[in-house]
Amino acid sequence: MLSDALLLAATSTAAIPHEVALFDALVPGLLLVFLLCMMLLWAVDAVVGRFGLYRFVWHPSLFRLALFVCMFGAAGLLLLR
Amino acid sequence: MIAFFKNESIAWQRRWPWLAEFMAGERDAWVFVVKSSLAMYAAAWLAMWLELEQPATAMITVALVMHPHSGMVLAKSFYRAIGTLCGSLFGLALMSVFPQQRELFLFCMSLWVALCAGGATLYRNFMSYGFVLAGYTAAIVALPAIGNPLNVFDSAVMRVSEVMLGIVVAGVVSDVVLPSRLRNVLRRRLREHFAHFVDFARDSTGGSMARSEMEQAHLRFVRAAVELEDLRASVIFEDPEARARSSRMRLLNQRHMAASTSFQSAHHLINRLQRSGRQNVADALIALYAPIGAALSPETKWRHQPEVLTTRLEACEIELPPLAERLRASLPDAASWLEFDTGAALLRRFASELRDFTSLEASLRGQHMRGTVERVHFRRGNDYAGAAIAVLRTFLTMSALSAMWLLSGWSFGSGAMLLATIFSGLYAAAAHPVIATVKTWCGYALGILAAFVVTFFMLPGSNGFVMLIVASAPLLLIGPYLMTRATLPGLGVGYTLGFVYILALKNPMVYDPEHFLNDAISQLVGLGLTGVAFIFVPAVTGSGWQRRRQLRQLRHQVVLAATGPLEGLLYRFESINRDLFQQVVSFTQPGSDESRSLLAWALSVHECGRALIELRQDLRHSELPAPVHSEVQAAVAAMAQLYEAPSVARWQRAEQAVEQAINATMCNDSHVSCRPVLVQLHLLRSALRDDESALAAYITPAMEPSHAV
Repeated sequence: MLSDALLLAATSTAAIPHEVALFDALVPGLLLVFLLCMMLLWAVDAVVGRFGLYRFVWHPSLFRLALFVCMFGAAGLLLLR
Repeated sequence: MIAFFKNESIAWQRRWPWLAEFMAGERDAWVFVVKSSLAMYAAAWLAMWLELEQPATAMITVALVMHPHSGMVLAKSFYRAIGTLCGSLFGLALMSVFPQQRELFLFCMSLWVALCAGGATLYRNFMSYGFVLAGYTAAIVALPAIGNPLNVFDSAVMRVSEVMLGIVVAGVVSDVVLPSRLRNVLRRRLREHFAHFVDFARDSTGGSMARSEMEQAHLRFVRAAVELEDLRASVIFEDPEARARSSRMRLLNQRHMAASTSFQSAHHLINRLQRSGRQNVADALIALYAPIGAALSPETKWRHQPEVLTTRLEACEIELPPLAERLRASLPDAASWLEFDTGAALLRRFASELRDFTSLEASLRGQHMRGTVERVHFRRGNDYAGAAIAVLRTFLTMSALSAMWLLSGWSFGSGAMLLATIFSGLYAAAAHPVIATVKTWCGYALGILAAFVVTFFMLPGSNGFVMLIVASAPLLLIGPYLMTRATLPGLGVGYTLGFVYILALKNPMVYDPEHFLNDAISQLVGLGLTGVAFIFVPAVTGSGWQRRRQLRQLRHQVVLAATGPLEGLLYRFESINRDLFQQVVSFTQPGSDESRSLLAWALSVHECGRALIELRQDLRHSELPAPVHSEVQAAVAAMAQLYEAPSVARWQRAEQAVEQAINATMCNDSHVSCRPVLVQLHLLRSALRDDESALAAYITPAMEPSHAV
């Protein structure tokens, strides 16, 4: 159900093309996704850091890296058409 | 078996403690070496895989960014990314404006690099590094494309991609592989400073404190404040938890500073009372201090627990006013009441600031945080003349090199320009740039030699990336290892940079001895010229000239306290004071006359400035009649004038103004709201007449009888 909705959202909006014209310079769409994910990670960090939840993780920075890879991978696969 | 080894190792640690220490140091060094080389090769491999033009740029980025603590790497990377973006944008703009005007092009380039170098001297954290990078990236983007301007956009994109790749790889490697956490250092230092402050406040219940002891304590407090701010600025990049606590840590630092100033003022006052034969008032104040000391001395195991201390201090705060009433009643005359009130107000302020400090520390140590806190900033005291000199020097170096390049038609001039750009920026804020440049030059030359051996004897026979690592690693490892030696600053950086830069790993590799030697010569000339420029236009950081200027700036802080807008003034005053003081004191000989006079001025500025700020705040809330109000304002202005340029005449004027203000306020004593104003004025007068303070030289004995009431 959820995956259907996600897929639908991804196909119908298909927000980000492969190359984006930024001030008339072609920039890979993946770069925008990357920056978006960085901001998302920053937001997640702010929430998680406030409640000290990273203490329950064995290797916080590895966990953050993995989280980022997951987010970036998912976003890249879903958003990029 | 394992137990046997353990016993064995413990035994040997006990027998040769220096060996254990040596091994621990070596372990840290080699962890760093392994991490740096891993990051450099990973960056090179990725750059080749992504078919970037110069994998060497990514490697150089890693070499420049690497640091044993991961927080430092991330902080450096963050500013480096910003610097790179700004620099490349400027490079692009410059190239599109002056594609065929080489004189104007080089002039603007020199100016930009010089301004960036000047900006770098204004910051003492990695922000300064961002400025250096902004200058140097503009050069690496624009200079190689100078023969082919149409290429500049591609060149910029390539450089930025390579630098960003290097940053990402360095950040990931240092954060994930055997990370050494700066957070732990920060936590340890925070606890140490907290414990030291609490111990110091507890153990000085005797009231009287020798001047030298007070000076040492002040030195330590200042160092603590600046160090904690510097660490905090880097740790927030490493640890999300620290980032969430960042504004609390800032506020904690400010409260620590405020409390230490109140503490010092109270002790100065007690010391002065004892010296002037007011033993009964001093004793009463010491008796009033006793409950604070008692609140700070729970059982030994709770001594440094902020929650426990907070509850005890809260109880103590309720206890203080009735005790003050009793002690005041035991004093004989009105003059000593005023003196006692001054001290009591200071002690009450200290107790409440200390309670704020411990309660914030307790909330910082807790697992969860509730609510938000006031946002404060640690302001820095900057010397703009020093920055201007850095701008001038860099501009001269760059212009000289450009002129040489233009006149000689030297085809490798861009290499020299690049190296000069990097190092005139990097060392612009250093205290001994000539020595640093000479060391870096030696390291650079050694790195080039090593790279020569690798390029022309080892690499031609090797095949594939693994063989490349095998061939180049043994000589590359020396660089990061040298970087970990604190006794050889600059050498390691020079070696690594020289090695990686001239090796210029590429896929496919190019072997051209002529090009190699020409490049080597131009780079060494560029670096050498930077050193020459540092001799001609010497660095001002830490020089006597700058120290005198900074001392004047420190005195000027009282003018700020007297005239600045009151909003956030206290924190601004306290942090700039400490930052300035720390800058001067790190270049003065401990125990010398200069250092003593500096300390005396710092303490005096602290006391008077703080009193002026409190006075102005009380004045705003009080309902004094207009004539009295203007008398007090005149006293504030006279104090500012005294500190702006101390002289006997100004001291007399300030003394008279304060005296008049006190008399005017006394006549109006019917208002309850003018008590605080009176108390602050009295504190100012007592600080003015302190014959052990920095103002002692301006006190006129002839005036003594007239006001020795």
